[in-house]
Amino acid sequence: MSAPRRPDCAVELDGEAVPAVAGEPVAVSLFAAGVRVLSHSAKYHRPRSFFCLSGHCGACLMRVDGEPNVRACRAPAREGLKVERQNAFPSGKLDLLAATDWLFPRGMDHHTMFTHPRPVNALMQKVVHQLGGLGRLPDRSDPPLGEVHGERVSVDVAIVGGGPAGLSAALACAGEGRRIALFDEGDRAGGSLLCHPAHGPDAGRALADRAAEAGVAIHEGASAFAWYPEDEGGLLAVDDRGTLTRVFARRFVYATGGFDVNALFADNDRPGIFAARAVGALLVRHRVLAGQRPLVLGDSPYAAALADALGAAGCEVTRVDGVSERAVAARGHAWVSALEIEGPAGLRRVKCDAVAVATTPAPASDLPRQHGVRVALSEAAGGFACVVDERGATSVPGVFACGDVCGYRGVDGARAHGEAVGRAVAASLDEER
Amino acid sequence: MAGKVIVCRCEDVTLDDLAHATSLGYAHIEEVKRYTGLGTGPCQGKECMVACALFLARTTGQPPSEGEPFTSRPPIAPVALGTLARDGGEGALPTGRGRGR
Repeated sequence: MSAPRRPDCAVELDGEAVPAVAGEPVAVSLFAAGVRVLSHSAKYHRPRSFFCLSGHCGACLMRVDGEPNVRACRAPAREGLKVERQNAFPSGKLDLLAATDWLFPRGMDHHTMFTHPRPVNALMQKVVHQLGGLGRLPDRSDPPLGEVHGERVSVDVAIVGGGPAGLSAALACAGEGRRIALFDEGDRAGGSLLCHPAHGPDAGRALADRAAEAGVAIHEGASAFAWYPEDEGGLLAVDDRGTLTRVFARRFVYATGGFDVNALFADNDRPGIFAARAVGALLVRHRVLAGQRPLVLGDSPYAAALADALGAAGCEVTRVDGVSERAVAARGHAWVSALEIEGPAGLRRVKCDAVAVATTPAPASDLPRQHGVRVALSEAAGGFACVVDERGATSVPGVFACGDVCGYRGVDGARAHGEAVGRAVAASLDEER
Repeated sequence: MAGKVIVCRCEDVTLDDLAHATSLGYAHIEEVKRYTGLGTGPCQGKECMVACALFLARTTGQPPSEGEPFTSRPPIAPVALGTLARDGGEGALPTGRGRGR
């Protein structure tokens, strides 16, 4: 770890000051300061920290600056930022509602619960309505709408996702006056480069800079959230830092990557059990160790690279491949303290203070699916991958996909695929001339 | 006491819940989603959908390639209503009715 992390401001968690680095995700500030539980789950009120640290999993919802259900991994820290735990009674530190977790050890089927007799049902409805839901309404309403309007972007090529695949596709496609816009939901482009020990934020920045120099309009902090086929012949809706942007393009390229998924074992949601790429982002981007004794679960090249980097940073790392040996249960309640591992030699318990789960990311094909793109499920691909031909063309004319959304291939594979698909997209535009 | 195996962390849906749903005869991912609430939370199935689809493939004995995702609907990421409402200048709001798979 080159430049160490130096807090330069303080956020306020439930009224207490917590040191932070301005601009880093507040979830990282809280974790680095030793705050372990960020939220409680909706039904059983199980303690939760963040899992993916990339705005997807919904485990770190907090009240930030008076706004409910903000992903703490997406909210930048700044001096005096108010952060509150929600969905806990009487307080975030002591949540008595967690009793539901113990009362229903086998889970609850709400379809058949307390439906008879009728007065009991009526009472239960009232209680459940109080327990259910997440967060309270914001402290203040938005300012009057006034004359603020959305934006319209019309381009030759719209690329969704600024990781290795999307940026490489943009670079390969750029030139000859082609208008290209790239939208990345992260606060900075780079995607999985940003959490990879062999690449990191500088590599992500360099690739994004090259694409920008080649004329690609890069929108960071721009979340493409819907494809609306009925509107104006089809439009991609992007939330570009609070501005609704309607995107029209001759070609769409989905380079949306993959979502981190957990492994299935008992109490797999305990705080301290992170997606491996979250542990990588903590280490590489934010200069924070996930633990002193992390356990890396998985047999992928990324798992190996992460374990090596953690070791080089001074951690005592245990590796479990998840194949010959697999996790069966986590120990610890508000934080993981050990993993029960089952292997050829039987059951063993490995003490740890963090777990990095390196499963195959699930192709982020939800937006392409809205666009009508055919997908196929396979375990090797990590989930429902976009089906593409050798040019990256999907089942929908004019719509392409590249990188992990077509099946997991990792940083180098995604970059190569993005380049090839970017060239094919350029060629398909040339053919139309 | 064995702990819960959480498949969907947003809605606290466990592996036992999936087994319970299939034991009641729900075998399609849309049915299981509706019965258990899996995939209906803040993440909209980003983490749990694949695990559910693979579980159903194993349980029903069908090859995974036959597995289907549940319908993806807008928005796939949280959007402030104010962001949508502010687009007053160019006519109607997006009205997408969530076609697609």
